[in-house]
Amino acid sequence: MLKGQLGLWSSGTIVGIFCLFGFIAPLVDYSAQDAVNQRERQFCPPAFVDATPEQSRSCPKPTGSFFGTDHLGREVGIRLFKGIQAVFFPGCLAAILAIFIGGLLGAVGGYTQGALRAITLGLIRIIDTLPRMVFLILVCTIFRPSITLIAVVAGILSIPTVATVVRVKVERLASEDYILAHIAHGFRPVKILLYHILWLQCRSVLIRQASFIFGYIVFIEAALCYLGDYGVQEPQPSWGNMIAQAKSYALMSTWPWLFPSLAVMVTIAAFMAFGNVIANRDEGAKR
Amino acid sequence: MNRLVGFAGVVSKRISGAIALLIGASSIIYLTVRMAPGNAVDAITPMGTPDDIKQQLAADFGLNEGPVKGYFSWLSRAFQGDLGDSLVVAMGSRVVDEALPAYWITLRLSALALLFCLAVAFLAALATSHHQRRSGLMAAPIYVFTTIPSFIMAVFLIHGINSFVRYNISQDVIFTLDWYALGQPSDSIVPTLIGGLALVFSDGLFVDYLNALRAELTKLKTSQFIMSVKSRGASVWPHIIRNLWVPLVAGYAARLPLVLSSVVIVEKIFGIEGAGFLLIEAAKVRDLPMVVGVSLLFTMTVIIVDLLASLVRVATDPREVARGA
Repeated sequence: MLKGQLGLWSSGTIVGIFCLFGFIAPLVDYSAQDAVNQRERQFCPPAFVDATPEQSRSCPKPTGSFFGTDHLGREVGIRLFKGIQAVFFPGCLAAILAIFIGGLLGAVGGYTQGALRAITLGLIRIIDTLPRMVFLILVCTIFRPSITLIAVVAGILSIPTVATVVRVKVERLASEDYILAHIAHGFRPVKILLYHILWLQCRSVLIRQASFIFGYIVFIEAALCYLGDYGVQEPQPSWGNMIAQAKSYALMSTWPWLFPSLAVMVTIAAFMAFGNVIANRDEGAKR
Repeated sequence: MNRLVGFAGVVSKRISGAIALLIGASSIIYLTVRMAPGNAVDAITPMGTPDDIKQQLAADFGLNEGPVKGYFSWLSRAFQGDLGDSLVVAMGSRVVDEALPAYWITLRLSALALLFCLAVAFLAALATSHHQRRSGLMAAPIYVFTTIPSFIMAVFLIHGINSFVRYNISQDVIFTLDWYALGQPSDSIVPTLIGGLALVFSDGLFVDYLNALRAELTKLKTSQFIMSVKSRGASVWPHIIRNLWVPLVAGYAARLPLVLSSVVIVEKIFGIEGAGFLLIEAAKVRDLPMVVGVSLLFTMTVIIVDLLASLVRVATDPREVARGA
């Protein structure tokens, strides 16, 4: 995978921009650029593409829109920027939920024996059995779908992945000499488990999983919007509803669906690479 | 005799584990239905549903009874093939009658896509297992394959096909596909083929499988017993293939839930009339018996395939019986 400085800087830059925009997007007033302006600026091409004669009539130069406009004359660039807001906090929520519960279940499952271990592992396996997309659609059918609900359910469905990775690591660590030494010195099991094993040794694994879950939330929001308008609802923009809306007009203009699709793809790749690189560096530093 | 007793013990353990999983997973699905806000029956039925149908639905889901009793009466009816009647998508028809034929299409597509993925990954692993390090140039495309989500892959494919068709029409080219990527059902085989390819080469499925098989092959090739076979001058491949069988089967079962999630997206985008397509159509109009029925079928498949893979491992790998778990 992407290794070293190049991987860290390229993925870190994208993740940094995403997080920065996630924080500042709610503070920016974009009503003028997002106003419906159908007659005058419909399907304007991006600034770096030459307009056709037909487009030139409706899109006077300079358009002032680097990424072009959509079917209602709204700026794609501004909507891409505001779209981050839609998934940023839900993504954080899902990642925190999965990391906390998954980390604890994995630690308990890997460190304990007997009935507690069997119950924990059973619970993890039961949740793991549910096909994620199918279960999310079921939940969206029963409850009023919102991005927060989707993020919470996706976070819960990600618990087995986190728990399994942590459990495997904890099982290996539990028989290490230094852990046995801590037990012999009379450290409390809770402290050994939470601090010496989970925090000091499993941190890199948890960072990697949190990063993956964030990418997964970006994907799931886009997919559910495309499949059935379950995610963020118009007029609030999200990358998913931008792709979903643009599909009806795909023959008229490529740009309104291409940019959000690329944004989804690049963001997921960046979060996965960032998680891997950070975790690898952390593990390397420990060695 | 001892081995036979051990084998029977392990098999019975696995089967009882699968039954426990089925009860656990189905109870989550059932409790989700019961957690519907307000009056559960009103919340889970489309607007304007007649009262007699609402009462029938409440009886089907055991909503008039306590959660435990309601769950077991719903589960026992489900095992008898009674998943209720469809409310909207196939109004009045039994869910099983509609869902099973569609599910067969989905299962066939998922199983064949995964099998194709396995075969290609196996051949690629055989061809590349002697290279210990990937070159830097190879890493980037492999990384792209690892991260493209099935949804984005399908969107790119569908727009690519539409552009291809549009270009051919504008250039008066006679050759074109017999199918247009409009997401509508059709009789053509093209959407199934392209959808299958989208399944194989997205969500990191192929690369994940390839990496797992390469790692396994490298480990096997450098193991002591393969060295000893080599030193006797015998062919190592029968031994390698036999030992590779276990991770192949385990990998197949482990990746099926991922494929079953992706297939829902692919079917909807390419208009393949499988259970995923049916699920989304039913969800749009809040046809709950259909949604729950299809969800249960998907979940049961994951459990059954996992059980079958586990039984195959027990039958082919004596170490599984020795471990006794």
